[in-house]
Amino acid sequence: MNPLTEYQVQQTRRQFFGHAGVRLGGLALGWLSASGAMRSPRALAASSQGAVHPALPGFPHFPARAKSIIYLHMNGAPSQIDLWDYKPKLKEYFDKDLPDSVRMNQRLSTMTSGQTRFPVAPSRFRFAQHGQCGRWVSELLPHTAKIVDDIALVRSVHTNAINHDPACTFVMTGSEVPGKASIGSWIAYGLGSENSDLPAFVVFTPAFPSTGNGQALYHRLWGSGFLPGRCSGVALRGVGDPVLYLQNPDGVGAADRRVMLDALNRLNQRTYEAFGDPETQTRIAQYEMAFRMQASVPDLTDLSKESASTLSLYGPNVAKSGSFAHSAILARRLVERGVRAVQVLHRGWDQHDNLPTALKNQCEDTDQPTAALIQDLKQRGLLDSTLVVWGGEFGRTVYSQGRLTEENYGRDHHPRNFCMWLAGAGVRGGMVYGDTDDFSYNIVENPVHVNDLNATLLHCLGIDHQRFTYKFQGLDQRLTGVEPSRVVKEVLA
Amino acid sequence: MTMVWMVLVSLLTTAVASRADESAPQFNRDIRPILSDNCFACHGFDPKHRKGGLRLDVAEGAYGTGKSGEVAIKPGQLEASAVWKRITTEDADEAMPPRDSHKSLSAEQRETLRRWIQAGAPYQRHWAFETPVKAEPPATPELARLPNPIDRFLRARLAREGIGPSPEASREVLIRRVSFDLTGLPPTPDEVARYLADESPGAYERMVERFLHSPRYGEQMARHWLDVARYADTHGLHLDNERSMWPYRDWVVKAFNRNEPFDQFTVEQLAGDLLPEPTQDQLVATGFNRNNVTTSEGGSIDAEFVFRYAVDRTATAVQTWMGLTAGCAVCHDHKFDPLTLKEFYSLYAFFHSAADPAMDGNISLTPPILKLRTPEDDARLAEFDGRVAQSEARLKEAYRAVVYTDPATLASPPPPQDVETIWADDDIPAGWRISASSGSEPSFVTAGAVKPFSGSRALRRQDKGLAQDVIEAGPGPMILPQSARLVAHVYLDPADPPRAIMLQYRTGEWKHRAVWGDEDLIEWGRKGTTERSHQGPLPAAGVWVRLEVEAAALGLNAGDRVNGFALTQHGGTVFWDKVGVKGRVDVTTDPRRSYLAWIGQHEGKDVAAFPEEVRKVFKETTSGKRTAAQEEVLREHFLVRECADTRVVFDPLLSAVASWRKQRAEYDGAIPATLIWKDLDQRRESFVMERGAYDRPGDRVHAGVPAALPALVAQGTNAPTRLDFARWLVDPRHPLTARVTVNRFWQQFFGLGLVKTAGDFGSQGEPPRHPELLDWLAVTFRESGWDVRGLVRLLLNSDAYRQSSRVEPEVLAKDPDNRLLARGPRFRLDAEQLRDNALFVSGLMVDHVGGKGVKPYQPPNIWEPVGFVGSDTRDYRQDSGAALYRRSLYTFFKRTAPPPFMASFDAPNREQACMRRERSNTPLQALQLMNDVQHFEAARALAERMMIEGGATADDRFRFAYRTVLARLPQPVELEEVQRAFERHLIRYRGSPDDARRVVLAGASKPSTHLPAPELAAYTLVANLLLNLDETVTRN
Repeated sequence: MNPLTEYQVQQTRRQFFGHAGVRLGGLALGWLSASGAMRSPRALAASSQGAVHPALPGFPHFPARAKSIIYLHMNGAPSQIDLWDYKPKLKEYFDKDLPDSVRMNQRLSTMTSGQTRFPVAPSRFRFAQHGQCGRWVSELLPHTAKIVDDIALVRSVHTNAINHDPACTFVMTGSEVPGKASIGSWIAYGLGSENSDLPAFVVFTPAFPSTGNGQALYHRLWGSGFLPGRCSGVALRGVGDPVLYLQNPDGVGAADRRVMLDALNRLNQRTYEAFGDPETQTRIAQYEMAFRMQASVPDLTDLSKESASTLSLYGPNVAKSGSFAHSAILARRLVERGVRAVQVLHRGWDQHDNLPTALKNQCEDTDQPTAALIQDLKQRGLLDSTLVVWGGEFGRTVYSQGRLTEENYGRDHHPRNFCMWLAGAGVRGGMVYGDTDDFSYNIVENPVHVNDLNATLLHCLGIDHQRFTYKFQGLDQRLTGVEPSRVVKEVLA
Repeated sequence: MTMVWMVLVSLLTTAVASRADESAPQFNRDIRPILSDNCFACHGFDPKHRKGGLRLDVAEGAYGTGKSGEVAIKPGQLEASAVWKRITTEDADEAMPPRDSHKSLSAEQRETLRRWIQAGAPYQRHWAFETPVKAEPPATPELARLPNPIDRFLRARLAREGIGPSPEASREVLIRRVSFDLTGLPPTPDEVARYLADESPGAYERMVERFLHSPRYGEQMARHWLDVARYADTHGLHLDNERSMWPYRDWVVKAFNRNEPFDQFTVEQLAGDLLPEPTQDQLVATGFNRNNVTTSEGGSIDAEFVFRYAVDRTATAVQTWMGLTAGCAVCHDHKFDPLTLKEFYSLYAFFHSAADPAMDGNISLTPPILKLRTPEDDARLAEFDGRVAQSEARLKEAYRAVVYTDPATLASPPPPQDVETIWADDDIPAGWRISASSGSEPSFVTAGAVKPFSGSRALRRQDKGLAQDVIEAGPGPMILPQSARLVAHVYLDPADPPRAIMLQYRTGEWKHRAVWGDEDLIEWGRKGTTERSHQGPLPAAGVWVRLEVEAAALGLNAGDRVNGFALTQHGGTVFWDKVGVKGRVDVTTDPRRSYLAWIGQHEGKDVAAFPEEVRKVFKETTSGKRTAAQEEVLREHFLVRECADTRVVFDPLLSAVASWRKQRAEYDGAIPATLIWKDLDQRRESFVMERGAYDRPGDRVHAGVPAALPALVAQGTNAPTRLDFARWLVDPRHPLTARVTVNRFWQQFFGLGLVKTAGDFGSQGEPPRHPELLDWLAVTFRESGWDVRGLVRLLLNSDAYRQSSRVEPEVLAKDPDNRLLARGPRFRLDAEQLRDNALFVSGLMVDHVGGKGVKPYQPPNIWEPVGFVGSDTRDYRQDSGAALYRRSLYTFFKRTAPPPFMASFDAPNREQACMRRERSNTPLQALQLMNDVQHFEAARALAERMMIEGGATADDRFRFAYRTVLARLPQPVELEEVQRAFERHLIRYRGSPDDARRVVLAGASKPSTHLPAPELAAYTLVANLLLNLDETVTRN
């Protein structure tokens, strides 16, 4: 063996059997250090040495309050008129045609473009003022109403797309056409993650009420697109293994796996010595991380150590795997463990008809756990470093789709304005931004394009969206696209 | 046609950097990447966004005097060049690139620019737009002895870098490398033995040749092309329903196996439909551009999607064959490459007139489609046609023989009488259909707690809400008699009564309803009209009650044709029995008995239910004024299909005709079909779409090609066609197609392309590492008649390919990506290969080529949590038997939730064309290879092979496993390692026989019963270990 190779081999052995985690091929060999236990939330923040998910050099671009993001995506488009955008004057317009001066012949979806009338459907739900900020909130959100002082409500979000597939793809990837990277994967790519035993970006797709009209979800909403595959969101599943293939096969225990892995590592080490391919060492590290995940994921999903008061905060479904409440408490547990990005995609918000019944059920499913998440994070001091986002892909029309009665109506897609809210790290709680006309049909003040919103989210995490690029197809790709967009500083503390 | 193309980078080659002086920066290699990345966005090809009128992509722009009066670049005079001043100044307002661009030049880049300007700032046309020239391979005495020109180019470069090539890899490594590269599978021990035994010269080449002619070669080659073609088995957007596209996939396999020349391969896929008398295969090939994602989402605007599909197809063709990222030019002139907005839409015009609809209809065969009929199919269909004709002839014969006297013409006709016709009793009549709107399937129950009213069965339904059984009539509708009363018998469960019950009847539409009980609960129809007529309170529960409703009260009249009815309830448990109609029949006025009465009923009316010719006669003629032929049309229709008294003669004959027609339709329906390309008869006009918006058409454009590329010569006198475009792509003068194609094949076998950015040959792409080699290969490939197999042979027979992949640290540091090819290529197997490898070495693989996609193992809840409720790919229904073990190429691919074995290992989701896969290395992959039932079952099956085929001792069996999995024998240390693990597993499973049994029962296939479970379990874990080795999952 020549001296150089000999040196390399020794180095490797030292790394392999030693205790210090050393970066090799982008990954760590820190597998002999204690693992599985919960880490103090931000203990590792300072050091990317030994991180399995290292940040890009120079990231974050500037100091930021938010270390993690939890994105609650209400898929299908919740009705802003029935939840947040209080329009008392609409009562007078019940069943009257939406004035042409308001509609201005704007583009409609073909589900209602053939309607002969556009009768105004005021919300049948009562609104009341809440919190010190006096925010108007619908009776459908009694729990969220209690945390309005922590959230910044944006009433003037608007988007390009009028149908679900392109609109969801747009809000999540900054492009209506499939193929781009999701916001979660961008964040994981830039900032990495502080936890070496869990993925950097975790996704939930919880169950939703049977009355909800469930649109499809797409892998691309959490996929990595052109970014490296490791940045892709990992689905924590409600049925079967929480992480795909986490469980050893039937009849194989952790000790059996350890025996196999020890032999595997030694044999792979020989391969490394024979060929010198750094990928081999990365592979050794990845098998070890897989082994650690077999312990850390069950630890993550084990709620037995949560206090009764915490559990009750999230409501009756918290223990039900695959429920929104369960996903919400796991989201907290994930950011607590230093996971960078968590996305909960809750379906069923597409109320073309029977809106009052279905929307009520959707809110009953999500309202309490959503408020609980904010309160729980706050109690633990995590809200200061966690950004929480709530919203859908577009809004809904003020006019009824189909038959309108006092009690019952439906609403079509409305990309021109909708409500989203932000809470937590760096967000100015208790404020409202942007306004719409009396029909919640046009923005009259401070429009916020989806790209502006995404620029703002990145900003909260310490990323300059202009500088955050990835070269693909000859372009410096950005989450926020090529058109100019801005950080909505007004909603930030 | 507008001929005012942008004048491009022609005439720019003012000077070419001297080859001899390697240290002088070359524009294409060294300068263009710097300028492109930092300057062209504002000082490039796109005039709209150009700042200060300055363009630096062409010499005349750079050398000219700008608006400011300065000269950007004064060749050879650094201090007189404004560019140099701007990139070196300390003044933040003057500095370039500007701060807000977030770009900056490194000291090294500045130095390169300095040397270039001082050397005269020579420009070159972008290399990829120059026609490739076949340079002589370097022929120094040392290199001349190398038989493969590839090696001469590579070695010359290596010599300059001062690095030597690596020795040839071992034969075991080589055969495994070649086998995976050419078949996607490892070699069998027999193939290895044959190769090792062949000691005569040319053994390697002969081995390569064997794999090149394996039928699996086409499967392996197709896999790569399917990424490019964005092939999948679902539509991709919204519902993401199934799409029947697999015949295209099979065509690709066949095309590679028969070594279809690449130019033909190109033309057939882009324009096979325009070839003279295209063959079935050539039409199937046009599916290439039907592979794009499509939608049928409610509310979508057609124009938007017609536009998007055309953009996708244009961008895909341009990227696949020309390696250019046309997507940029959808919205504005390309900032980096010579592709204007208008030129993009000229290319788009070739694809804009596709005949497929904007909405795919959520059906698997969105037209245009092609049925793939075999000669056998033709024969069978002809046979069915004969049967249909025969049965129709019998019908005609019977009609000629029938004797009919209209009772209305009798001197003393029979008196009127009451008749009751039953539509449903113990069952519905044959040929009718019953279904439930929701809830459980319709159910006829025999006597239980409730005895049927009539016969032996009654229809029962229980529900908490609105529910119903719907019965639809077969071929003959039910025609209402005079004074008709609709009849049904109902029994309401006293323990669980409904809140309302309803009878509904369909004529053309469902709008005749009778309701008992709460009349508001079931909201269909307008209350208080014949659409929802209230008949009173619910009938008594606990007894059978006969319901009778006057048909007229529901707006139904004598002669009306009822073709469906529904038995509806809101809540409760309800039994129905003996449903039908009662009426008074006077044969002289009954249109079902008297021909004259029937004529009288329909004359002058337009009855949609009749066949067209009958309808026409009624509409247009009156009695006494009909020709004999017209009269005959009516009479035949009446007797054959309407008259109640001739049913006994004609019904069996009619049902024979219907049955043969149905069989024919079913046979025809089962013939596979695939989406193909056709243009609309009336071509669409194409326009520049301002800012890429589908609803903002600007100037009209005509089909054409970018000015920077060779002119397109149309075959006919008319505007150029797609066929002209396809032929233009493979024209010898085209500078891109051959280069892009050989580069993709190079990438396939060497891991990275000579141009790393395989999808971008523009100025933002990476310039080639070995430009002369790339061009030599491109020209050679074209001159060979685009012989793909020949090209592959050439690559694999190079010394470069045959090198050992072992790398020393100093070489690794110098060339981490192996761009110089000083070592052999080593990389992780692709997603499909990993799964196929496990199936193959375990002996589980079912080697069947082609066919509809199969659904192997998949963990629960991959499709379901994301699938749209109404989607036909919402519930994953795993196949069983052989389908679990087919090659991965044949796995059903759902775009919005790809198979995990594909997604986890970097397969693209096939939403867009993919020119290069990533190769990631993640813990999720480790979990999958260790624990996925597919892999663990394969380990069990391999363990069985070890025990049965591997010999008597454990060592023999481990040797067998190494030979099977790695094509080599284990070294003593390795044997010891495996042995040690095996012994520990054996002790463990002997102590826990229950666990051992659980281990060996993995998967759907059953283990051999005569093998002791603890031993088999221990071997299974060893096999699992071997299947997870870095060496196993790597093609070395």
